[in-house]
Amino acid sequence: MILRSIELENFGKFRGQTVEFRRGMNLVIGPNEAGKSTLAEAVPAVLFGSDHLEKFRPWGRNACSAALFFEGHGRTIQVKRNLVTDEVELVEKDDLYHVLSQFSGKVPLRGRSATSREYRDLLESLLGVSDEGLFRATYFFGHHPQEWSGDELAQKLRTLVSGTAETDYAEILDRLLEEHFALTRSNPWGRDKQRDREYENLCQQLVQQSGTEAVPVFVELDNTAELAGQIEELTVELESDRQEYAKGLRYVERLRRQAEEISGPHAPEGSSPSPSQSPSRPQPPANAGTLADQLVVAGLPQNPPRELPELLSEAADIRQQLATLQQPYAALGSREKHVLKVPWLMLFSLVAALLVVVALAWWQDFQLLWIAIAAAACSGTLMGWGGWRHVARKKTLAECDKERSRLDQKKQAAQQRQADLSERCEILGLPSSAIDLVRLQKQVAAHRDLLANYWGEEGATAVEVSVSKDHGDTESVATDAPGAPDASVEAGEELVQLETRMTEFEAELRHKEDRLQELRRQLAEAPAEQSRQAVTPASVLLVRKHDLEERIAVLRKAVNLLAEAVDEFGRSHLVRLNDEAGKLFGKITSGRYAALKLDGDMTPSIQVDSRRWMSFEHFSRGTVDAIYLALRIALAKVRNDGRSLPLMLDDPFVHLDQKRLATALNLVDLAAADGQLILFSHNVELGKRAARERWHVVPLDGDSVVASSEEGGEHAGQLHLL
Amino acid sequence: MANLLGSTHIETLAREESVRGVLVRMALEQAEQADREELVQLEKALKLLLSRFQALEDGAP
Repeated sequence: MILRSIELENFGKFRGQTVEFRRGMNLVIGPNEAGKSTLAEAVPAVLFGSDHLEKFRPWGRNACSAALFFEGHGRTIQVKRNLVTDEVELVEKDDLYHVLSQFSGKVPLRGRSATSREYRDLLESLLGVSDEGLFRATYFFGHHPQEWSGDELAQKLRTLVSGTAETDYAEILDRLLEEHFALTRSNPWGRDKQRDREYENLCQQLVQQSGTEAVPVFVELDNTAELAGQIEELTVELESDRQEYAKGLRYVERLRRQAEEISGPHAPEGSSPSPSQSPSRPQPPANAGTLADQLVVAGLPQNPPRELPELLSEAADIRQQLATLQQPYAALGSREKHVLKVPWLMLFSLVAALLVVVALAWWQDFQLLWIAIAAAACSGTLMGWGGWRHVARKKTLAECDKERSRLDQKKQAAQQRQADLSERCEILGLPSSAIDLVRLQKQVAAHRDLLANYWGEEGATAVEVSVSKDHGDTESVATDAPGAPDASVEAGEELVQLETRMTEFEAELRHKEDRLQELRRQLAEAPAEQSRQAVTPASVLLVRKHDLEERIAVLRKAVNLLAEAVDEFGRSHLVRLNDEAGKLFGKITSGRYAALKLDGDMTPSIQVDSRRWMSFEHFSRGTVDAIYLALRIALAKVRNDGRSLPLMLDDPFVHLDQKRLATALNLVDLAAADGQLILFSHNVELGKRAARERWHVVPLDGDSVVASSEEGGEHAGQLHLL
Repeated sequence: MANLLGSTHIETLAREESVRGVLVRMALEQAEQADREELVQLEKALKLLLSRFQALEDGAP
């Protein structure tokens, strides 16, 4: 596929002009500011759009548009873009001018709409490229450095194979690794695993805070934070009150039933205690059968030992003791850290200097005796201060040591208790780890809640559950509930009192709910930024920890994915790339060098004889240029099999002297032989070469395209700029 | 969350003969084997990588 022409309706300094190109070598030549770069930029600007409309829009006009005409394989493709509106028209026709495919729509440079995707897919299928970065990386050759030094050439090649114009995949990999290393010392790549990073420091902070985590401490006590605090307190209070209220209602209901039972005539038939029941032992309700299932769901082991509550209580106590020790340890560490060392070296230096002053003063003149005395006094003071600081430091450190050993003793005692507890648990067949015991404690709490709900008399009745082997999985429930009132009068009075209290309680509850609504409304109206500050530090740390863990996991995945992709690219593409580049390089050097290859980090080497390969750095500048060009052209071929667009060289040889320029031009001539190459240059010497080599020449003056030369020898008059 | 991996943008990128293209193809292969949690992580990693490769405007997870 070749670029047949560019129509520039309103583009930069071009208005209503058409620039035509031919297969093979094309030279666009003109002085600086003639519009060569603008013309070169027209190609990606039309295909993909541009962020630099102001650069291309003619001064004083609100129009900017251009069109490209491609030709090849019996087809023509026209792409026209209005750069102001980003409206694009694409038409593909065959030799008989039948429309094969077409597109019309708005496609901005980074458009993500369905229309943009449709257009890019069409470009990909027709021209083999749908991304501006990839297009530039493949077909554009700009100015490159005078000399490729060190890793520069390899870096440039890595950028080119990455698929973008500016990004080197190895740099991306390095940056991702750096980001990972900055977050945590734990890494699978074996680097710098000793020093704690943000994640480890955060975990330590969390451990230190674990003792005070339950107490909310507001970071900012501004109005919003105060509001949030009040809401939090009120919510907790309300929750507790509602539970109490529900319990109260149940208790009142129970009392009412008892009162009715005692009063006799009102008692419903069949509700009186059966002879087999103790009056103090309530009869299990009808839904007792489901209780066993619910208790199993609570997760408590079957037939738990009677010592379980005691063991769990002791485990909680040990946990609390160990957590309490964290804070003094942290304070001790901080205190030790802040004990400064005595700057003996500085002190001795100062004293030595002062003693020299004393000696000089004494030796020079007895009249300077007072200077000697003053210097001696200063020396004495300094040494005294140093000694005092040293003693104070020793004392502080000794105190710290003493405190540490005291804490160690406490910790050891707690650990010993923990070991004893574990042993007792194991003997009883219970799990012994701290985590398991915490879980067990939660299960017991859930168990108790179930039973409390079952009997509906929590707070008034102490419930004890035991699971008897003799009764299989059924629970025998014993209560020490107070007996029912002896007289209906007593029950009635208590009932009235309780109902009055319940009414008051209900009013109080409503008042609190109203207050909560009001506070929430105020908080909603407060600035969002402030309300976010009203969180506990521990919560902030936990959120940060979670974010860090997620970030670390994503970084690790990204690193592995990219490393695998680079390996795969090496396996699947490098052989073909080396093969193509080697052939071209062989032609350029007239068979002097047999082969060219890229190693893992894209550093080129050349085969100098049947067994020896040498790095590119050992070769002359001309040879290195040839290597680069051969690789670029090979890369374009590998990337876009059979659909190659023209290579566009924007004054790439501007730094070369005459000899090197001649070599470089031989290279581009070879490169153009298989397709199309458009060279943009201001070098007048190239005009002579163009005439000799029968290149197609497009001369530009400062204002417009002068004329397009015809293929053949009629170049006279066309190169008037030269 | 699984929008990126199923997008036509990704399909287009996957056709590229570049490290970026290979990267996207490998991510698509891994996505076929991944469970839901792995898929979310894979998509975040791919977003991050493509943003570094200038193939997405904002790929930070």
